[in-house]
Amino acid sequence: MRKWDEGIADRKESLRRLLESLYQSGSDLRRSWKIYRRSLLAMMGLIMVISVTMISVFADRIAVEHPYRNLQDTEDLWTTDWEPRRAEPFSEECDWHEQKIVTNTRSALFSEEVIAESNDKVGDDNRYYKDTLSVIKIIKIEDSKGYDLNSSLLYIHPSNSTILVLTPELYNNSTLNLGVWVTYEFDNEAMHHSWLPDGYDVCIFGTTDTGQDLFSKVLYGSRVSLKIGFTVAILTVTIGTIVGSISGYYGGRTDEVIMRICDMFFAIPGLILAMAFVAAMGSVTSLTIPVWLGVIVPILFLATISRSYILSTVFDDDRISDRSMNFLVDYRGWIFSILGFLFFIGLLPASSWPEFFGTSDSRPWRLVASLAIILIIGAITFADRKFVENSNLEGTSQRISKSLDWTNPWRYLTLRTIAIFVAILVLFRFTGTDGDEITLIKDFDRLWKIQAALIFTGWPGYARLIRGQVLYVKEMNFVEAARSVGAPSGRIMFRHILPNAWAPLLVAFTLDIGGTILSASGLSFIGLGAKTGTAEWGILVSESRRYFLDYPHLMLYPGLAIAVTVLGFNLLGDGIRDVVDPKNRR
Amino acid sequence: MKLHEFVVRRLLLLIPVMVGVAILTFAIAHLIPADPAAAQCGDKCGVVVDYTDNGEPISAYEANRERLGMNQPVSVQFEKYMTRLVDGDWGESITYHRPVLDVVKDAAPITLEMSFLALMIAYPVGITLGILSAVRQDQMFDHVMRFFGIAFVSLPIFWFAMMLQLYFATGTENGGICDPILGTSGGCFPIYGRHDPSFTYPEDGFAWFFPAGGTGFHLVDSWFVTDTKLETLPDDFDSRRLLFKDTLLHLALPCIALGVSSAGSLLRYMRASLLEVLNEDYVRTARAKGLSESRVVLVHACRNALVPIVTILGFSIGGAIGGAVLTETIFAFNGMGRVAVESINYLDFTVIMGVTLITSIIFLLSNLIVDITYAIIDPRVRLE
Repeated sequence: MRKWDEGIADRKESLRRLLESLYQSGSDLRRSWKIYRRSLLAMMGLIMVISVTMISVFADRIAVEHPYRNLQDTEDLWTTDWEPRRAEPFSEECDWHEQKIVTNTRSALFSEEVIAESNDKVGDDNRYYKDTLSVIKIIKIEDSKGYDLNSSLLYIHPSNSTILVLTPELYNNSTLNLGVWVTYEFDNEAMHHSWLPDGYDVCIFGTTDTGQDLFSKVLYGSRVSLKIGFTVAILTVTIGTIVGSISGYYGGRTDEVIMRICDMFFAIPGLILAMAFVAAMGSVTSLTIPVWLGVIVPILFLATISRSYILSTVFDDDRISDRSMNFLVDYRGWIFSILGFLFFIGLLPASSWPEFFGTSDSRPWRLVASLAIILIIGAITFADRKFVENSNLEGTSQRISKSLDWTNPWRYLTLRTIAIFVAILVLFRFTGTDGDEITLIKDFDRLWKIQAALIFTGWPGYARLIRGQVLYVKEMNFVEAARSVGAPSGRIMFRHILPNAWAPLLVAFTLDIGGTILSASGLSFIGLGAKTGTAEWGILVSESRRYFLDYPHLMLYPGLAIAVTVLGFNLLGDGIRDVVDPKNRR
Repeated sequence: MKLHEFVVRRLLLLIPVMVGVAILTFAIAHLIPADPAAAQCGDKCGVVVDYTDNGEPISAYEANRERLGMNQPVSVQFEKYMTRLVDGDWGESITYHRPVLDVVKDAAPITLEMSFLALMIAYPVGITLGILSAVRQDQMFDHVMRFFGIAFVSLPIFWFAMMLQLYFATGTENGGICDPILGTSGGCFPIYGRHDPSFTYPEDGFAWFFPAGGTGFHLVDSWFVTDTKLETLPDDFDSRRLLFKDTLLHLALPCIALGVSSAGSLLRYMRASLLEVLNEDYVRTARAKGLSESRVVLVHACRNALVPIVTILGFSIGGAIGGAVLTETIFAFNGMGRVAVESINYLDFTVIMGVTLITSIIFLLSNLIVDITYAIIDPRVRLE
């Protein structure tokens, strides 16, 4: 095993190669951009895509109110049972007017509860609080069945208008144990968004049937759509690439079997198949480890066998303390054991974690455990070259340790490590606990069902595309040359064939994002995707169906949003096609 | 290879794909964690409905599992499923209380009628615009058409359908644009339904040589209604021509909504294909002979440019049948799409599988016809 100090030459060489490749790809990009910006339509598409992306990123900054009450992102942000209301449903006018709250009369603390809060949340996602609002007057008090109560039961605290005070009669009245509904008017100005002038009307799209601001809902809808579009496109591309390249490269019987399976998928119209799949998911509310592994493993698989595009590199020697690196190299055995231990803890059912760590919230531990999983898989990944080159298992452990070149750690800054980290990111974004199992997708019921369905129906298209490309590139001279000098299959596949086959894949990927957004909103529209009330464009259009003849604005704007977004991605894809495929350029 | 050999070969190749589709639908319905037995009894799953011979209670849930055959091993279930498929016994629908095959048989013509009419609108429009766009390459018209080609593909069908309803099926007070121009009242097209709500469409009483219940395609059926039946209809619809016109008017909006994306993609393909052909030597020869430009484009170039367009027909049919789910929901047609959506809401798996199978059969058969057409137009295909 080499020592850290012996790796200096390697690190320098790696750096040189990285810079060279970066320079090369930089000039390639500049040339492509020159071609791309010639086309007006393509530039329009790019602008559309960028603006939609910006809107989705800054939706919470631009939006006037928070539209979510039941979308997965924010389910724990809305714990109270009240919701500020606009003055009127279907209204052009847009003032905050009154709100209805349910209060529990059994609560001893009731008389001191702050019940009026502004819509603006302050602070980050984990710890946040809301500004309190000034109640102006109480309009109505009802019991839980809707009967009016004497309004003397509740009054505004004279010194602090955000506190409603309960009279002893109400507190002692045992028939009101289900709570009372209080409708009251409050100070408007605090509810207006910070970037707007005081009292300025901003419901530019009007309000919905429940009196919510449509503008905000449409803005937030871009987040959902883009998320679905990108997730589905990335995963279908990954699965399709794996399957298609296997099929194209090995040919023969493998190819035959895979292509016949693809034919099965092609024989059923996509939307119908996706619907059947959503139906079959039925009452599934969460995906647990085994199912989710089916999603992560393809990414990891691709990561494991892919060769890097970004050439391996190191940073300047001075940046890394030799001593600490020497330490890491010397004690790698221990580091691995600890990571391995954490990995097994990560596999334990979540219910036993509190016993282990004395805490009910196991999230940090899950984080650590999953990091361990990733690091271990990464380590195996690093050793892959030896696996590919000498596939007999004799002396494998020795080979693994040999292939782990600790003297040049930054050479692992490669595409596959990036893919692994994407995988872990995806993993973490959706981790939660459900009963005694670690649930890796929270709230599968809502949007994940259609994502799973679209992935399920989408991959054969990519598989066929990639297979065709691989078959085409495989016949070229440089592949022949690589084979004749004895390069292993994995190397030929990922170093020689795929880099030359990615262009149509990129085009298909861009076009597919648009297509996915269309299909997902279609599925939502017929009631198979997101739940009613979600800020999702398909749902917004579908909710407006009952009123759209009288209030067309309800359906106009969400639909326009879908059309513009999809158009943007389609124009972008078309423009990219013109760049990568000169034959089509006219 | 002769043409008939080619056809026979393609037909034989269809069999494994059909078996594959059957396996796929079975896998979707059985290997995925939804539990139709639990879905059917809802919160009454624990209720005891019967006793075994030994006196042990059977809950509603267990009874459902028994009835749906879910107690048996998957291999046995699969065998049963396949034999019943072949026998034509596709099971009974829980939602409709009718055999699945009957449900699908009633629904299929509606979807087919809509999809094919949509394609019949989309093809002429798309091809014409594509030709014009290619001939005027890089002029303003071409740029506009390229934009519209992509824009049509990007339109969400359901939204576009609702916009059509809003502008063409409502009166002025709701924003309709027909009334002031055409002098109609309440828009120029009916807002939804297959026929006017003032009568029920005749389900029997067709000409003697016609199938007893009609074909289900109202566009065809309306020409074969007997005179006695016509007399029972209201005055506005008591001739075959009026009946046909009514059907056509009701189909217009859904078909436009459905056809627009096919038209968009056709426009783009036709344009690209024609541009490629216009660079060929024989086009130059034709021009050199002194033929008029329109003859060169329409006769010499278009014929060859249309050949690859035929293959796109296959995709368009799949897209149209899939898109029909959305238009049927909006225009209240009881076609396969609506049947599918309803059966999904009730987790009625027999119907879901039936609809999936039937759509794939229709899709495969139409693709077969497309392939054969292709082989006739371009004999080189047969040689492979």
